Amino acid sequence: MRLFRWFIGRHLLQHPLRSAMTVLSIAVGVAVVLAIQLANASSVRGFEVVLDAMAGRTSLEITAPGATLDETRLPELDWLRAYGLVSPIIDADVRLTVPGDGADDVLGGDVTRLLGVDILRDRPFRDYALADANTPTGQAVSTRDFLDLLTDPRAVVLTRRFADDRGLTLGDDVGLLVGDRERPLVVAGVLDDVGPARALDGHFALMDIAAAQWALDRIGRVDRVDVRLKEGIDVAETEARIRARLPAGLSVDRPARRGAEVERMLRAFHFNLTALSLIALLVGLFLVYNTVSVSVITRRGEIGVLRTVGTPRRVILGLFLGEAIAMAVVGCAVGAPLGWVLAQAAVGLTSSTVSQFWVTTAAAVPPLDATSVGLAFAVGVPLAAVAAGVPALEAARLAPMAAVRSDDHLRGRARLPRRFVIGPCLLFVAGAGLATRGPIGGLPVYGLLAALAVVFGAALLVPAVLFAARRVGDGPLARWLRVEGRLAQASLGGAIPRLAISVAALAVSLAMMVAIAIMVGSFRQTVIYWVGQTLQADLFVSTARRSPVGDRAGLSEAAERIIAAHPAVAAVDGFAGTNVPYDDTVVVVGSGRFDVLLDHGGLLFKAPADGRAAMATAVGADAVVVSESFALKHGKGVGDSVELATPAGPAPFRVAAVYYDYSSDRGLVMMDSPTFARHYEARRPAGLSVYLRDGADVDLVRDELLAALGRARIFINTNATLRAEVLRIFDSTFAITYALEAIAIVVSLFGVAVTLLTLALERRAELALLRLVGAERRQIRRMIMIEAGVLGGVSQTIGLVVGTALSLILIYVINVQSFGWTIQFHLPVTFLVQSTLLILAASVVAGFYPARLAGRFGLGGLSVEK
Amino acid sequence: MMPGVYMRWVACAVLVLCGGGAGLRGQDQDARGWRFAHPDYTLTFPRDHGAHPAYRVEWWYYTGNLEAANGGRYGYQLTFFRVGIDPEPENPSRWAVRDLHMAHLAITDVGRGRHRVAERLNRAGVGWAGASSDTLRVWNEDWRAELDGDGATHRLRAASDDGAIALDLRLLAGAPPVLHGDDGFSQKGSAPGNASHYYSLTRLPTDGTVSVDGETIAVGGLSWMDHEFGSSFLEPSQAGWNWFSIQLDDGTDLMVYTMRRLDGTPDPRSSGTVVGPAAIVRLTADDYQLVPGRVWASPTSGAAYPVGWRLDIPSLELQLDAAAAVDAQELHTDRSTRVTYWEGVIDVTGTRAGEPVAGSGYLEMTGYAGPPLSDVLR
Repeated sequence: MRLFRWFIGRHLLQHPLRSAMTVLSIAVGVAVVLAIQLANASSVRGFEVVLDAMAGRTSLEITAPGATLDETRLPELDWLRAYGLVSPIIDADVRLTVPGDGADDVLGGDVTRLLGVDILRDRPFRDYALADANTPTGQAVSTRDFLDLLTDPRAVVLTRRFADDRGLTLGDDVGLLVGDRERPLVVAGVLDDVGPARALDGHFALMDIAAAQWALDRIGRVDRVDVRLKEGIDVAETEARIRARLPAGLSVDRPARRGAEVERMLRAFHFNLTALSLIALLVGLFLVYNTVSVSVITRRGEIGVLRTVGTPRRVILGLFLGEAIAMAVVGCAVGAPLGWVLAQAAVGLTSSTVSQFWVTTAAAVPPLDATSVGLAFAVGVPLAAVAAGVPALEAARLAPMAAVRSDDHLRGRARLPRRFVIGPCLLFVAGAGLATRGPIGGLPVYGLLAALAVVFGAALLVPAVLFAARRVGDGPLARWLRVEGRLAQASLGGAIPRLAISVAALAVSLAMMVAIAIMVGSFRQTVIYWVGQTLQADLFVSTARRSPVGDRAGLSEAAERIIAAHPAVAAVDGFAGTNVPYDDTVVVVGSGRFDVLLDHGGLLFKAPADGRAAMATAVGADAVVVSESFALKHGKGVGDSVELATPAGPAPFRVAAVYYDYSSDRGLVMMDSPTFARHYEARRPAGLSVYLRDGADVDLVRDELLAALGRARIFINTNATLRAEVLRIFDSTFAITYALEAIAIVVSLFGVAVTLLTLALERRAELALLRLVGAERRQIRRMIMIEAGVLGGVSQTIGLVVGTALSLILIYVINVQSFGWTIQFHLPVTFLVQSTLLILAASVVAGFYPARLAGRFGLGGLSVEK
Repeated sequence: MMPGVYMRWVACAVLVLCGGGAGLRGQDQDARGWRFAHPDYTLTFPRDHGAHPAYRVEWWYYTGNLEAANGGRYGYQLTFFRVGIDPEPENPSRWAVRDLHMAHLAITDVGRGRHRVAERLNRAGVGWAGASSDTLRVWNEDWRAELDGDGATHRLRAASDDGAIALDLRLLAGAPPVLHGDDGFSQKGSAPGNASHYYSLTRLPTDGTVSVDGETIAVGGLSWMDHEFGSSFLEPSQAGWNWFSIQLDDGTDLMVYTMRRLDGTPDPRSSGTVVGPAAIVRLTADDYQLVPGRVWASPTSGAAYPVGWRLDIPSLELQLDAAAAVDAQELHTDRSTRVTYWEGVIDVTGTRAGEPVAGSGYLEMTGYAGPPLSDVLR
């Protein structure tokens, strides 16, 4: 231990900047990994917390897949009483408005989860704590009291938090936005923070089942029937018995099933984010490797002394591993809280993706607990030890006398060892092989392994590239940059083995950035093309900016009539969708008017060749057109039959065509409106595509329609604004990808700076000698900065080549396996040129501090060192 | 009228909630549109066994004293209540609450001193509770009371959710219904509408099974059935009441009640009916005296109930002592409707014109416990 303190501790303290940078890079790497883990977990957990709070003591749910239940069928389920209690439920995501609150915003309102229950039956299921003000003092609220509170068809009970935030008290008016209508409600009660009221940050509202049906236009329908089994009953066995006895078209599940579905839907997304976050960690580990290597090389002499006085090899190994672990421990200690802070930012992104899929969730990052900190250490420390293992073993293997002589530590090898060529080649071949393998459980595991192989291959190839660059760079550097260039070239050439590590780290991050830039750029270009092909309508009418599938309220018939009656309107097509369970997950079954789509264009077909003709055969028939992701994920092609759950039981549909869709990776199954109406319940469209007659002024018609619709809560996009909106959503979705990449690049630029600094420090004597022979301070600085620029340039070159290869894996393997999208390859040239220039500039800047330091070395450097 | 003591509280609550019965809309209905009981209404059967949805409050009330083959003695109470909330709900949903349907089931195992209770509270919704309008068929989920096609057999069926208590009984209606008050019109207060229509089937030979704590026992004995409906018949000054149904071994049945006023004074609207083997005698408040005796304090509610009573009807030379067969026969509904009352089996002994008589029956006492009336009535 004393040896460690003396040998390593002193060393770390003597090089505070390098130590700090290494620690920081570990911290950032660990933080990014932790942040993504926390954000992923809390977005799913956020959903599960809501699910738990909403389900209460519900054991099983009876639903009609893809539809609501016809309440007149409930008496058919009277036998359920033998198993326990039964409560019919209305469940909806609604928007609540408070008068005087953003009155101009037609899309206003807080998204709130509304439950409509028969309170006479629901109290054993969920806890509702009516706040004191509603009840006689000191009395528990009787069910009868509760019912009295709810029988007014306009009565709504809000949470204490919601009411307080908006200054609402009993008797105040609130508005309920249903599709394009607003229903007036009155606050009849306030709930304390238990049961469903504790979830969603208070965005919960309770109504009587009758009032909810009326307000939501769902008279005669219930969303599900909750069952609370008697105590001591075996849930699994009872579930099976109930399933066997349920009439066709009804299914029974546990409430937790929906959490599992969401998790499955998000799995690919989360998996890819995690993989991305590991890159930041990888870069940090490169730096650990780098630091320990530098530490080993600069102290060969000391190692030699230690070995000659009889210090065993394992102690040497332990010393250097200890150095890495010490830095990793500090790095993790800093990284854990940092990760938690980053998670706050990331969670918004991941959970907005959840709610896009499902219902409102309010994900919050849980407080930093022992598990998270433990995760940080469990990831950071062992990996740092592994990264340090190679140089530490090398140190332990040194022959004492060779080490003492310390003669060749900075001398570059004249020839490149063959393993630096063979190794990368083997990895590239392995990568290519892995890329051709299919997904595992819907996850692109082999694809990511292929990417990893390419990354490691590229890292191993760096020395070879540097050797080649030295030979190629011989002439130009000297010619363009005169003596400083020649000096830079010479000193770089002499330090290839060490530089290789830093360059590899930077090159890998840059390769990832290039790959992601190409992938996202290609994706964006593909989406632009797809939008251009499919968004053919002139106006798009919706009741919300992004209405969740299952927002059953939809556009009122009155509004649709007004729109269709406008003289400039040629045709109108409505989209309505419903969530239907399929193959352990949930797909969207949508309906549109195929005749209108055929006349006005709108779908971009993947198969068969004449998609339009194929779609024409599906008009009115039990046939569907499916999205590409559905086709890929579920292995269905043209001519196959898909069996969809319908309220009348499973029904087969022929796949007429496969079309491109990038709006969701959930899988879309589209059928003609009459077909949908035949199998599923009639449903108002959530949005309308409006086709205008030739020559109509789009903006004028839009204004006229809005005026005609009057107070209706309707949003109308023109074709141009909707396209812009699509791209805006697209870009915001990928913001996190860029953020992660930027972090990785910053970390690896640290690495370049650290390496240059080390080089400068180690060459004190050499630099002093240069000064002695007449080199000016300015020239020394220039030399170091040229070195930095060269390193940046080489890294970016490798990055561009390897990144392009990686992007192919991302686009054609990982993306297809995770999301099922066809992306057309497209090089974002401008972005790549800009980023290359930026990287060169940044690496020169990274050389600035080492350069300044080196410039300051006086002649003293000579006497000190030798 | 009595069984519904507790009913009236709810009725009263509705009354107060809706602005009271003061705002009469004409003579025949209240401000909300509920029809008042009227002296000209003629009860006809089996039609009037059915529901009368035009009236605000209605109940079907069965009690009985039963014996098992091994000598075990059981009492039962099965009551179906309907309370109108809104005669014409604005909301077209099936779930809109027009009526609230409640049902109470209680079984007393006299031998072992056990008293078990269960309740149901439902809206009609998709038919989970309701009552036929043309004959006797009233249900609350799987609890039901109905008249067989023969028009003479009542079938009762009910079981608690946990299966601890249950009954499955057949009641034979021998004698025609006994109409209380003036041909079934029972005036309750000074205002013309403060009245109900009220009749009883006082002696129904019964057989079937009851279950207590999961044990099912074959039983036989006598039941009593009450059916009453109206829209406004409780005055706010009344605290509750004591009500007796008694079946004597000599074939005489009698029903008496006294109103309990808040200020403790006797209520002139108290009355009764004596159904002798030969004739029916109607009693007014002046015709009888009810004196409370031994008191039992409920450990649950804290209420002190007189569980022994002396009934004196001088005109019939009838003197009876009624005593609870089991003291603890109190019902609580704190969570559902927050009404607490005592309802249970009594043993009756006494003399008639000097000759000893004996029998059994049911006693109901309300207004002794629970939150202050003003709170309950809100």
